[in-house]
Amino acid sequence: MDVTLTVNGEEKSVSVPPETTLLRLLRDDLNLTGAKIGCDVGDCGACTVIMDGIAVNSCLVLAGQAGGRSVETIEGLADLDAYHPLQKNFEDLGSLQCGFCGPGMILTAKQLLDDNPNPSKEEIQDALAGNLCRCTGYTKIVEAVADAAAEMRGDKQAA
Amino acid sequence: MKPFDFVKPDDQEAAISALAAHSPNVRILAGGTDYLVELKHVSQSPGTVVDVSQIAELKGIEETEDGLRIGAGVTHSAIMADPLIEKHVPAMIHAAHTIGAVQTRNLGTLGGNLVTCVPSMDSGPTLVALDAEVTVAGPDGSRRIPLTEFFVGPRKTILAPHELLIDVIIPKRNLGKPTNFYKFGLRKGQALALVNAASSLWVEDGKFKDVRISLGAVSPVVVRAPKAEAVLEGKPVSDDLISEAGKIAVTECNPIDDFRASLDYRRDLIDVLTRRTLQAAVEIAAQE
Amino acid sequence: MEDNVKVAERDATLEEMREIDDNLRLPAVPDQVSYPIVTDTPEARTQTPAVGQRASRPDGRLHGLGQTKYIDDMYFPGMIHAKIKRSGISKARIKSIDVSEAEKMPGVMATLIGKEIPINSFGPSYQDQPVIADEMVFHAGDAVAAVAAVTEQLAQDALEKIKIDYEPLDPVYDPIEAMKESAPQVHEGGSNIYATKVIQKGDVEQGFKDAYRIYENTFSTQMVEHVPMEPHASIADWDGNGRVTLHSSLGRITLGRADISRTLDIPINRVRIIATVVGGNFGGKNEITTEPILALLSKKTGRPVKGIYTREDEFISSTTRHPFVMDYKTGVDKDGQIVARKVRLVCDGGAYCSWSETTLGKACILSAGPYNIENLYVEAFAVYTNKTMTGAMRGFGAPQVCFAYESHMDDIAVDLGIDPLELRMRNAFHEGSASPTGQVLQSVVVKDSLEMAADRFGWEEWSK
Ligand SMILES: Cc1cc2nc3c(=O)[nH]c(=O)nc-3n(C[C@H](O)[C@H](O)[C@H](O)COP(=O)(O)OP(=O)(O)OC[C@H]3O[C@@H](n4cnc5c(N)ncnc54)[C@H](O)[C@@H]3O)c2cc1C
Ligand code: FES
Ligand code: FES
Repeated sequence: MDVTLTVNGEEKSVSVPPETTLLRLLRDDLNLTGAKIGCDVGDCGACTVIMDGIAVNSCLVLAGQAGGRSVETIEGLADLDAYHPLQKNFEDLGSLQCGFCGPGMILTAKQLLDDNPNPSKEEIQDALAGNLCRCTGYTKIVEAVADAAAEMRGDKQAA
Repeated sequence: MKPFDFVKPDDQEAAISALAAHSPNVRILAGGTDYLVELKHVSQSPGTVVDVSQIAELKGIEETEDGLRIGAGVTHSAIMADPLIEKHVPAMIHAAHTIGAVQTRNLGTLGGNLVTCVPSMDSGPTLVALDAEVTVAGPDGSRRIPLTEFFVGPRKTILAPHELLIDVIIPKRNLGKPTNFYKFGLRKGQALALVNAASSLWVEDGKFKDVRISLGAVSPVVVRAPKAEAVLEGKPVSDDLISEAGKIAVTECNPIDDFRASLDYRRDLIDVLTRRTLQAAVEIAAQE
Repeated sequence: MEDNVKVAERDATLEEMREIDDNLRLPAVPDQVSYPIVTDTPEARTQTPAVGQRASRPDGRLHGLGQTKYIDDMYFPGMIHAKIKRSGISKARIKSIDVSEAEKMPGVMATLIGKEIPINSFGPSYQDQPVIADEMVFHAGDAVAAVAAVTEQLAQDALEKIKIDYEPLDPVYDPIEAMKESAPQVHEGGSNIYATKVIQKGDVEQGFKDAYRIYENTFSTQMVEHVPMEPHASIADWDGNGRVTLHSSLGRITLGRADISRTLDIPINRVRIIATVVGGNFGGKNEITTEPILALLSKKTGRPVKGIYTREDEFISSTTRHPFVMDYKTGVDKDGQIVARKVRLVCDGGAYCSWSETTLGKACILSAGPYNIENLYVEAFAVYTNKTMTGAMRGFGAPQVCFAYESHMDDIAVDLGIDPLELRMRNAFHEGSASPTGQVLQSVVVKDSLEMAADRFGWEEWSK
């Protein structure tokens, strides 16, 4: 089955069996290994990508369903000039330990900040409920999202 | 996943004919948050998978002559953000919010939740408490039935493999009816309900009217508690009566005993949740 | 989907077709991740001393960019995929294994069963665990066969074609039951108890006689899985020189290397392990799992073989934290001073020893708690059951006993009507206290930290 979709702003065409998930398509066919396979059944959020502006578990999307749609992965967040404020704040605060949950966590947070530039702590926690992290205990992750939000609003100087 | 064919019809009509063409070896796919998990574990190919997740006709939320029509393809996130739902059935927003996490709600649809028909489904109780009806369509046309008749058993509805759930209708008489939903799970996010419940009622001249109590995860399908409802119907609002209703509701359910919770614990939950949802609905009524 | 495919012959002009042709000549270069070229180095890494500087993790940036390469993010030319069949039965004799149907499937390149493993046993304390069960199955998560195929899905499908004939045997799941002489034997050898430890200090019986009150209770904890976000993962590549290179999420590579060379029966210098960033270990990735299997499949096929645990594999066949059953008996005087304590620990080790012996020792030493107890008796047993094996997990027996002795202290405090914090202050170690095994302790700050903690979370307010 041929699938054409936009990934990080560029149109891509791949030929995959219909039973391929978007997650496998990104990892195996487009070499974008930032999205991780944590559970493959929608529980952990490690495979989160943003599809048409909303965060989804790419392990629960078939390649065919992603056809014609626009997908944003962790690889598309930084550019040659700057890191995304989320990436910067996650690094500065040491929010990630093993890092396996990181790409999914950051993309879910990005969708939150795209919709709500000034989220409360509770709103951040609610948004990240589907991204499991076994290492950190979440505290610094929530802080980094709040700091990134402040920076993006201009309330806080970039470090 | 075992090999299958994938088709993505453009509209409802095309979907119905694709389903008819491939029946009985055919399955519908919407958000995939239930079905893909299943598909990854089955050892039989489904044959053909028909993706209805992008069909515009299944996505609308609008007021009609009959009431509020919510398309089967509306996602839980879309329910949470919709102004008509906020105005007429705010309890649905709360119920949708308790489902999974953001990613699941962004993909998962109302139709998928009802068709999967697990006893703990979180959109069921509110809709049952509001006497919702559903429209089902197949190659021979469509029919409208009460939601309670739609559910047959755990993971079983009256749908044939080639039939499509089109929409859910909340009757006009129940728009704005004070309703409350309460889910009790082991965690706030990403947890199935041990018990969930919804109550809806009007308070007229200080008396209960049209009381509906609906409970999930306590019987093979989402059920009403008619005896508990009857105890309240037409009586003056009182905490004592509400307590009595909670106790009666326990006798009307058939919860299981498993590793998530013991039978006794679930019985307690039925009592507590019935009372809390009734009380909350009374409070909403008092505010109006 | 069909709409998206341009049927060139039908729709395109000659010019367009040339253009399509030209485009096809462009090599397909995968997108690279972009990130700022000029990078700043955090102060902590450029200055000495680093104390007082804010330090960031050296790998933190790559994590956030999604560029950290875990095992599953690696690919080698010609690489194939392995999957492992689990027994699904907790105790049985394997009568026969037939892999012929699986081997016939297109895309399947090799299968592997226990008999093909040169030395089919391993384990950090006792070598009681088969790499792939060959004669007997000891728990439902035991590997019974493996398949390597061109895709993961094919390997998975091939597992269903492997036919195994089992003779079911009586299992035992409850560790207390398993200690009885009449219980079914998990492994042959007379008893399910494979490690025993005792600590004796003073005279407990006399202590109990002198006590004002005696408290008894039984506590138990459950099995816990580490659930690292990254499942166990390895890639094996057996080369023409008879050397095997393993990229693995293994935490203790030196120990692992010895185990792997032993099971493969090759000199240790033929085994090369390349450790990478691990997506969470917590003690659960300290032992070899599928590495010998992947190595042999690579040897059979002449290709790199990748093996990633599914989440199910992770739960049913990787190590877990030991469930404990803990009997506590404590005698106190009128002021709540502990005069005697007797502890009996039963550590449910599951099907294999793994690190149970070490865990048991540590649990024993810590089981009295950080309290001065003159008369102490601790006895502890590690027991086999037909369950998922247990192993190292953060704390090595400490969390289990801590749960028991602190719950016990709370019960005592309530009964004596003494503030629970005060009860602990009266009994806690001080400078020069001796541990249960006689070690004299220095720099003891238990009381200070209790006080500080109580102050920080407002104990006084809260306990009103
Ligand atoms: C991590 C996770 C957490 C979850 N948490 C919850 C929770 O807290 N509460 C809860 O209730 N559910 C939960 N779910 C289940 C699931 O998300 C919901 O049931 C969801 O609404 C299913 O909708 P879907 O669109 O994804 O359905 P799909 O998976 O696409 O389909 C589900 C079933 O419905 C059928 N179907 C779908 N649409 C139609 C239609 N229009 N007509 C006929 N048949 C149709 C399909 O054939 C399939 O059998 C969770 C799922 C996951 C993965
Ligand atoms: S891998 Fe998709 S949610 Fe875990
Ligand atoms: S940092 Fe390891 S899982 Fe989150």
